[in-house]
Amino acid sequence: MAPKSADKKRKASVQEELSDDEFNDLDFDGALSQSEDEFEAVSTDEEDEEDDGDNDASEAEEEDDEALHSDDIPSDEEEVNDAIEKLLKDKIEPGVEADGKDDDDDLTAEDARGQNDDDDDRPNYRVEKDANGNERYVYPEIDPVYDSDDSDAQAPENTIGDIPLSFYDQYPHIGYDINGKKIMRPATGDALDALLDSIEVPQGWTGLTDPATGKPLQLSRDELEILKRVQMNEIPVDGYDPYPDTVEWFTSFEEKMPLSAAPEPKRRFLPSKHEQKRVMKLVRAIREGRILPYKPPEEREKEEEEKEEVHYDIWQDEQPRDPHVMHIPAPKLPPPGYDLSYNPPAEYLPTKEEKEAWANQDPEEREKEYVPQKYDSLRKVPGYDMFVKERFERCLDLYLAPRIRKNRLNIDPNSLLPKLPRPEELKPFPTVCQTTYRGHDGRVRSLNIDPSGQWLASGGDDGTVRVWELLTGRQIWSVRLATDEAVNCVRWRPTKGTAILAAAAGEDIFLMIPPVLDPEAEQENRAILDVGFGHATSGQQAPLNVGQTPPAKWARPGTKLEDEGVLIRITVRSTVKVVSWHRRGDHFATTSPSGQRSAVAIHTLSKHLTQIPFRKLSGLAQTAHFHPSRPLFFVATQRMIRCYDLQKLELVKVIQPGARWISSFDIHTGGDNLIVGSYDRRLLWHDLDLSTRPYKTMRFHEQAIRAVKYHKGGLPLFVDASDDGSLQVFHGKVVTDLMENPTIVPVKVLKGHKVVSNLGVLDVDWHPKEPWVVSAGADGTCRLWM
Amino acid sequence: MDVTMADSTAAPETGSQVKVIFTTTEADLQLPESKRQLLVPADIRRYGLSRILNSESMLATPTAVPFDFLVNGTFLTGTLEDYLKDSGLSFETTVTLQYVRSLIPPVYQASFEHDDWVSAVDVLSQTSPAGRWSGDAFQQGRDRILSASYDGLLRIWNSSGQVIATSPASSLGGHSASVKAAKFLSNNQIASAGLDRTIRVWKYTESDDQFSGELRPTLELYGHKGPIESLEYEGTSKRILTASADGTIGLWSTSKSSAPAAPTELLPSTHSTKRRKISSSVSTAQRGPISLVPAHHAVFDPRDRTVGYSASLDHTVRTLDLATGLVVSTLATAHPLLSLCAVPRGSSPLLAAGTSARHIAMVDPRVSTTTTSVMTLRGHGNKVVSIAAAPDNDFSLASGSHDGTVRIWDLRSVRPAKKDEGGGIGGVSEPVYVIEREGRQGKKKSVTGDGCKVFGVAWDKTVGIVSGGEDKRVQINKGRDIFAS
Repeated sequence: MAPKSADKKRKASVQEELSDDEFNDLDFDGALSQSEDEFEAVSTDEEDEEDDGDNDASEAEEEDDEALHSDDIPSDEEEVNDAIEKLLKDKIEPGVEADGKDDDDDLTAEDARGQNDDDDDRPNYRVEKDANGNERYVYPEIDPVYDSDDSDAQAPENTIGDIPLSFYDQYPHIGYDINGKKIMRPATGDALDALLDSIEVPQGWTGLTDPATGKPLQLSRDELEILKRVQMNEIPVDGYDPYPDTVEWFTSFEEKMPLSAAPEPKRRFLPSKHEQKRVMKLVRAIREGRILPYKPPEEREKEEEEKEEVHYDIWQDEQPRDPHVMHIPAPKLPPPGYDLSYNPPAEYLPTKEEKEAWANQDPEEREKEYVPQKYDSLRKVPGYDMFVKERFERCLDLYLAPRIRKNRLNIDPNSLLPKLPRPEELKPFPTVCQTTYRGHDGRVRSLNIDPSGQWLASGGDDGTVRVWELLTGRQIWSVRLATDEAVNCVRWRPTKGTAILAAAAGEDIFLMIPPVLDPEAEQENRAILDVGFGHATSGQQAPLNVGQTPPAKWARPGTKLEDEGVLIRITVRSTVKVVSWHRRGDHFATTSPSGQRSAVAIHTLSKHLTQIPFRKLSGLAQTAHFHPSRPLFFVATQRMIRCYDLQKLELVKVIQPGARWISSFDIHTGGDNLIVGSYDRRLLWHDLDLSTRPYKTMRFHEQAIRAVKYHKGGLPLFVDASDDGSLQVFHGKVVTDLMENPTIVPVKVLKGHKVVSNLGVLDVDWHPKEPWVVSAGADGTCRLWM
Repeated sequence: MDVTMADSTAAPETGSQVKVIFTTTEADLQLPESKRQLLVPADIRRYGLSRILNSESMLATPTAVPFDFLVNGTFLTGTLEDYLKDSGLSFETTVTLQYVRSLIPPVYQASFEHDDWVSAVDVLSQTSPAGRWSGDAFQQGRDRILSASYDGLLRIWNSSGQVIATSPASSLGGHSASVKAAKFLSNNQIASAGLDRTIRVWKYTESDDQFSGELRPTLELYGHKGPIESLEYEGTSKRILTASADGTIGLWSTSKSSAPAAPTELLPSTHSTKRRKISSSVSTAQRGPISLVPAHHAVFDPRDRTVGYSASLDHTVRTLDLATGLVVSTLATAHPLLSLCAVPRGSSPLLAAGTSARHIAMVDPRVSTTTTSVMTLRGHGNKVVSIAAAPDNDFSLASGSHDGTVRIWDLRSVRPAKKDEGGGIGGVSEPVYVIEREGRQGKKKSVTGDGCKVFGVAWDKTVGIVSGGEDKRVQINKGRDIFAS
């Protein structure tokens, strides 16, 4: 009974766990901790009960069981207490509580209760008086249930023994049963029955008479079968295996539950002396070489063959000798095959220059981390000198290693590229150099195409300004402005019908009229230049304070230059680097980075007047331009571009391209976009409406960018010129829609200028209408690309 | 299926024959009807076909006439077999071969050295326009070559390379700046124009020994405000047509009496403040233009002398009515145009316009046509600045380019344009011959023709192809009787 009850307990606990699981499934997180508590409470309860059961096992085990079965699953501490109380009650009044919960357990419980009732309510025997008057316990007849295999309870058996039945032929009975009562002869049928029986043999008819009963003996098919087997001398029972497999009860495997609990005998722990003797015998034999270790037969054969060959070291005590036909020197040992060896072959050893180059290189750039070194012997190889460093770096690697696994992005990199149109679709743009303008001695610093698109003006280190026929490359005109100063900038006056050229050489700005016009137009141009002289002499210029030098001096350059066509010389205080015209052609701005206070000056052509707009300028002014349509003025210092309103005279905007040193910038004809080139190799596109920061930064050049230029004739192109000798042409379309950003596509790299003393292309300009670019190179040429 | 069939039948057996039909458009070389069809070996080339045609049984020409053969609009370059294979045709197809007189490769003849870049060349010969206009006054064998140079001088050469006459310097009535265009008007008249915005008409006289001559200015024509880029002359009406960079076309008369007076404000002498006073010791008559039309590079119509055509840097080709001085029609092209040449063809000429985009656009100027760009001639490596039509046929051109070559084109050979060439607009032709500058032989050749640009080309029947350029030479190339006939 005890193992059964334990079983039940286990079952119950399983149930509880199950239901608990359900609860957990239904409830939310917040209750999770509570439910765990409950579970604990239940389990402790169970343990208690089990202890109880152990303590008074004999007495209250069943009740215990029942109580447990009938018990509800306690869900609270109070309920647990209730259950315990109930349990105690059940112990006092067992079997009271009925249980309707579990079907399986119900059945067994009922059975148990039925037995209990018999036991407890009345004794299962009667007390009767026997013949002697003694008490006699009469037990009720045991009623074997349907499939009880009590074979004794049969029909009354004849007890006459082994005598022929014929002895009783005269009697109506055929014998006596165990109680001494006569067993009456069964009635025999009449002759007709017998006849019928004999004709229609019933199932199992033998024709014999059962001596025990006197009835005809009938045998079933199975019984006949058994008889048959007996007759055949076979085993009568079907399916009996006379030779079953033996069960190996005692094996070498140690079972968990061995059949014998006897302790291991001592001999199992002691080394066998007999075995040791035999082993020692073998050992001795091996030592003496009588037993050889096993080898595959082929190997053995080979060894035996080798044993027969005898080798002699003929170079054993070789002395160095002069070469002789009859003397064969020992073959040289093959050199170590790689330069990491302590004794590498000579061709692996670096020369002195290579060693120096290696030492001078950055450790990251070195092709090898070591220099091959030669030592006479391994003994002379010193300790590894980089040991500590290497360990340190390894530790550093481990210490700085990222602790997060980096997820590799599985994205096609091409899909991340912005969808740009193909350059072929963005034609026209310049592609090849078609004309080279040769003639300048030294660098060409600046060039400019005149507004009609026929003439190219250039100025260079040789102090000359030259005018070229644009298409043929023929030099039309040349004038030497200075012998010791370079011409830093040449710019045509940007109005139609005029051919006035401004050129800056040193501290002078010259205004000139090259002979490319017909006499009538030339006369008009001269009038434009000369009108200011009248203005200056009539004293309309602002009066100067005593002692203050005027910001600039406007004068005639002298007859020699005047004959050449140079008409006005303006002398300012410091070297002018950049000249930039206002679109109407009456004003131009000059920038002299070294000029400090007077770095930027605005000159008025019609009044011969020079003004210095900035009293103070933070940073070195680099270049200055007028806005193409509005009265705005842009001044670039090294890092910033400031935009001033010329009418209100106030600072409107500060643009911060983020470049370290701005070299040049240009304003789109629309006026809302700006490109900036910088000496730190960056080309930046600014959208003035968008932000003060660049909309796009392009770093495609290997050297500083010297000049940038927008196409001014309606084509969406811009170009930059770099010290690496190349120009890059970009397609940059500015759309009128404010919501859409300009698309910038690099379309062409124009290479052709030679780099001379680290200077490549110094200036660049567009043809006013066509997609043609001219560039000024440090190699003394200008080039036309179309 | 068809293809495999064709392949199997086209399996080239040795000695397979192809049936050809000879046709031609040249009236004097017609074959009799019975001889037009012929079986020829499949591996025959142009030379073989040409010999067959020249043979006694066919044309029976007294001297061999070299022929070229057009198959389906392109010249036969390899064997017939190759052509059939390339175009995927069966060997059983009948091939129609149009035979034309072949262009003979021009051979270098001579170079005449100059002091400065040569900007323009012209030829006076029996067959040149000027020779024809002068009529009987032209003496046989007095072929002259005129070259205009950037040093402002005109030079007249005889065919053996001797300078017969040089124009006077600016102080003696010559050009004060570079000359950019010059033409013979007749055997004793020359017109030139250039950067000094004036057109000068010269009288040219030669001594009897034909080894010295004199150029005397007779007329100065004022009116242009910009450099004059080109100059054309029409002999029967005695009109000069000029194109200037100021965007105008000038029509001028060469006779003093009929020309209007010069605009005074453009005369150099009227301004006392002129920087370099030109004290010309020779006083020349000064006249103005008959009319100025706003356009650019101009030519006369070869048939109708009242019609002119002009090509401009602003991408347009204009048709001008010279009688009224009006622009009749304007055709826009895709590129700036730098040169123009009218190729006579039927009732209206075909215009060849050289572009800055390294090709020649063939433009049909008729208003009625739907497609204006007929054909594109591709091959030059730089701006095409000068075009000359062949003197005796209407299907070939010579073009001079800044890439330092003169290329000869045959308009009969056309292939459809490829996609990267902007397919769809007419056909594309490639040069038949390329003439390099002789002075540059052996030197490193640059594609863009740095230092050997060709500025002017003239093509004459007797003299050949004359070209001048940046290498300061006039170069004469001539096919050995370039059109054998």
